[in-house]
Amino acid sequence: MDCKLIYFLTLLSLGFIVNMSLLRCDFRDPKFKIYYVEGQRLYNQYCSNCHSITGNGLGQLYPPLIKSDYMAANINKVFCLMKYGISDSIKVNGVVYNRTMFGVPSLTELEIAEIATYIYNSWGNEKGYVDVSTVSKAMKDCNAKN
Amino acid sequence: MYNQIRKIYNSLILVAVLSQLSCEFKPKKLPIFGSRTFNGVDTVYHKIAPFQFLDQDSSIITNDTFKDKIYVTDFFFTSCRTICPIMKREMLRVYESTRKMPEVVILSHTIDPEYDTVALLHDFAQKLGVESQKWHFVTGAKDSIYKIAQTSYFATAIQDSSEPDGFIHSGLFLLIDKKGRIRGKYDGTKEADVNQLISDIKILRLEDGL
Repeated sequence: MDCKLIYFLTLLSLGFIVNMSLLRCDFRDPKFKIYYVEGQRLYNQYCSNCHSITGNGLGQLYPPLIKSDYMAANINKVFCLMKYGISDSIKVNGVVYNRTMFGVPSLTELEIAEIATYIYNSWGNEKGYVDVSTVSKAMKDCNAKN
Repeated sequence: MYNQIRKIYNSLILVAVLSQLSCEFKPKKLPIFGSRTFNGVDTVYHKIAPFQFLDQDSSIITNDTFKDKIYVTDFFFTSCRTICPIMKREMLRVYESTRKMPEVVILSHTIDPEYDTVALLHDFAQKLGVESQKWHFVTGAKDSIYKIAQTSYFATAIQDSSEPDGFIHSGLFLLIDKKGRIRGKYDGTKEADVNQLISDIKILRLEDGL
């Protein structure tokens, strides 16, 4: 009987700890959640046709965003290509992709930050919230090049 | 009197159950689309008109290529950013699910033949990772492609510069039987529709006793 009671109490407290940590995650940064949700909407609208809802891409036509070494190493380029597109060939996880990607010129810096927050925190990516000032700074460089 | 009513009632139930069972065991048949006429002897069904295109290997593709083949067909173009990538992702599922059925092949027509050359289609197919014997990507005279889309397959394909990518086209997938008749139409952008297509291919194969 005692044993059962201890077991029950342990389970209860474990559940409590897990719950609290989840809650903390959600409330850690309300901005993160807003960016993420809006980013998901924009991603599904502008990017998912080619890169797929699940971030898997398609063959060697459209690169994956799920576990992408290119994305991890080139976040500033990723901000730029969302808006301006990219025609240079790139290597993602050892595979060369050389088809032109058209950008979405209408994207604002806020929208780019939202999409980045979504893609850098989905499908196993856990970079954390990408804020507008980071994007603004990076965009000045790509503006100069384009 | 009561017994008689019961007997009648029971036999009615039996008939109902039997008819239900016979319905369920009757093999499902796919419809035949398009107009039909009667030539005095037989019903003549709508058939895909004669065509001749070039595929990604520069092979000439005609109706003869699909003699004794079941094929799934669609209309797309490689530079399209709207529904085509979704269609190709879905068609890839059809490709994978029919890999072990040599009599089932796929025919994708470009509706932008000026841009989608044989070389470009070859590159596209290679990057999609598909074999040209199983999945033909064809190009040809623009008029012939548009005409066969509209009059044979009843699919929409129109050039329109006001559209984001320059064309209006439907995401239709069509299932064609060994006699060149349309046996199914599906929305190639919807997973559930493509699942239906994949199971309809199995039903169509049963017609040939496969």
